[in-house]
Amino acid sequence: MSVDIQLAPVIHFEPGVSTPKPSRSGNLAAGALRAGSLVAFVAILLVFSLTAPYFLSVGNIGNVLGQSAISGVLAIGLTIVLIAGGSNVVTGGIDLSLAANMGLSAAVYATAAQLGYGDATAVAAALLTGLLIGAVNAIAVVGAGIVPLLATLAVMNIVAGLELVLTQNTVIPASTPLLTALSSSGPLSIPALAYVLLVFTLIAAAIVQYTPAGLRLYAVGEFPDAARAAGLPVRRLVAGAFIASGLCGGFAGILSVSNLSGSTTGSGEMLLPVVVTALLGSVFSRRLVPTVIGTLLSTLFVGFLVNGFQLLNISSVLVSGVQGLLILLVVSATTLLRRQEA
Amino acid sequence: MTQDKSAQGVGRRDLLKLSAVAGAAIAGASLIGSRTAAAEGELSLKGKRIAISATGTDHFFDLQAYNAQIEEVKRLGGEPIAVDAGRNDGKLVSQLQTLIAQKPDAIVQILGTLSVIDPWLKKARDAGIPVLTVDVGSTNSINNTTSDNWGIGKDLALQLVSDIGGEGNIVVFNGFYGVTPCAIRYDQLVNVVKYFPKVKILEPELRDVIPNTVQDAFTQITALLNKYPEKGSIKAIWSAWDIPQLGATQAVAAAGRTEILTYGVDGSPEVLQLVADPNSPAGADVAQQPAEIGRTAIQNVARLLAGQTLPRETYVPALIANKANVNEVSKKLGIG
Repeated sequence: MSVDIQLAPVIHFEPGVSTPKPSRSGNLAAGALRAGSLVAFVAILLVFSLTAPYFLSVGNIGNVLGQSAISGVLAIGLTIVLIAGGSNVVTGGIDLSLAANMGLSAAVYATAAQLGYGDATAVAAALLTGLLIGAVNAIAVVGAGIVPLLATLAVMNIVAGLELVLTQNTVIPASTPLLTALSSSGPLSIPALAYVLLVFTLIAAAIVQYTPAGLRLYAVGEFPDAARAAGLPVRRLVAGAFIASGLCGGFAGILSVSNLSGSTTGSGEMLLPVVVTALLGSVFSRRLVPTVIGTLLSTLFVGFLVNGFQLLNISSVLVSGVQGLLILLVVSATTLLRRQEA
Repeated sequence: MTQDKSAQGVGRRDLLKLSAVAGAAIAGASLIGSRTAAAEGELSLKGKRIAISATGTDHFFDLQAYNAQIEEVKRLGGEPIAVDAGRNDGKLVSQLQTLIAQKPDAIVQILGTLSVIDPWLKKARDAGIPVLTVDVGSTNSINNTTSDNWGIGKDLALQLVSDIGGEGNIVVFNGFYGVTPCAIRYDQLVNVVKYFPKVKILEPELRDVIPNTVQDAFTQITALLNKYPEKGSIKAIWSAWDIPQLGATQAVAAAGRTEILTYGVDGSPEVLQLVADPNSPAGADVAQQPAEIGRTAIQNVARLLAGQTLPRETYVPALIANKANVNEVSKKLGIG
């Protein structure tokens, strides 16, 4: 037990935020933000569907779902860590190694496929890579007691270095029956990756939102002291969250190989968009907390935004600027509301 | 391979004749936007939506080609749908997917790693959208507009070998053998060096990277110079493009080892300036004409949509800039 108490700073949470007083104005504002963000989402979809040709076509929606699969799986993995560690960006749960994890897992998969191993072996190797990275994170955070931000930053660098060593910074093409199936189109000529994202989200949501283990994660993240007092295995749950997140990284790696017909460089660029997406996900939940479905919605929000811009033929130079502005607006609104609640 | 080459050789010779005429006309008119409209008077893209997909626009080459394509589509009366993936393969694939859903009248892909883009170019072709490429050969592309990379590779290798007097060690950046033009240029270097037994390519070869190409090349060359401290132990540094050359040149100059000459391809203005500087170790840079390549690709689209048959490859001449003629070349490119 004494070890658990030492661990407290790791999952430390601002007391004000962890025990929100349900002030009426705060609730109203939270409700307004939640409704507002949903309205904004729907409004943007509406504007695009009225102005952008092809936007509402089944093929295009399927495309966006498929294109969101990789970032979605990563963001959901991060969401699990956010839930278990609390969503304070600096002291709470965060897994910065996720994008690098995806890159290394993809490289492992592509290398295995190139060496002539079958899909089963390659899948196992990629998932095991993700799992191991998650385990290292868990040991660093729970065992050594390093703040997740720093622990996973260090692991990110190690993993990115390993990827460089394995790939020599080159593209490793890969083609296997599984990859072909994943990059093809499923029913309604919607990309298979779109179905993968939906099924993955449903499974993750079922586990995180509806099982006792999932509820305990929330308890550990939001009220660590209470969780400990209630006898919950805080360390094991936090470690489990990092391992689950690592596994998501490995899974995303496989999807990435199918999408890019191999492993390519530059996976690290996924990190910040994924972090932003996962943080943004809170505005799509009832209590402004990270949820799996909320993260899916925020992933799709970003995906539809990028897609709509392209369909409207808005110069690609403007896309990231406008995207950043929207995200800044939503995140600052959430932060202000949280402060108000406290 | 030999069969391919001889077949291409025939086509290329004819094309070179044509392009020499066009090139002369363009060289005269290329200073300020005045185009050789007379020859292309009948070409039009009126009412056509032409998708332009760039792998990135952070290099001189792709930025010039990309902008020239957009302008050329507009000039011919068409509507460009231009997307820039910022050198991110995931983004590139997503943009191609969305482009296919947009059903443009043609897609022009600028550069890209073949194994990444090819499946999606095939899907575009399967969807009935003509695909043309710039500087990336693909079986799914109807026409590839590019510099003659065999010629570029040969010219650069011969210049290098002649500058170092036919003997000595050369350092090679070979990080992008997966990119076809780089592979051709590298193979040509190897072909030339094969007949100069006293020229040796140092092992291990270096790997140039994206991003941070310049800094990384600087670091790698600095480390290598420490490993080979004797003057004359390295004669030249070769890279398949000129951004690593930029970092390598800076590293060589910083280490005071200006007896080592550097070689690259693309004609980036900052590297051409170095070549022009008599004290700089930059030996030569083969300058492509990216804007001209971009315009030519779009004119090819117009020809295709007008029912003409296109050759597999259209070559736009490249110009080797060495210490002797760099000012002339820069002037021709409209940089100097």
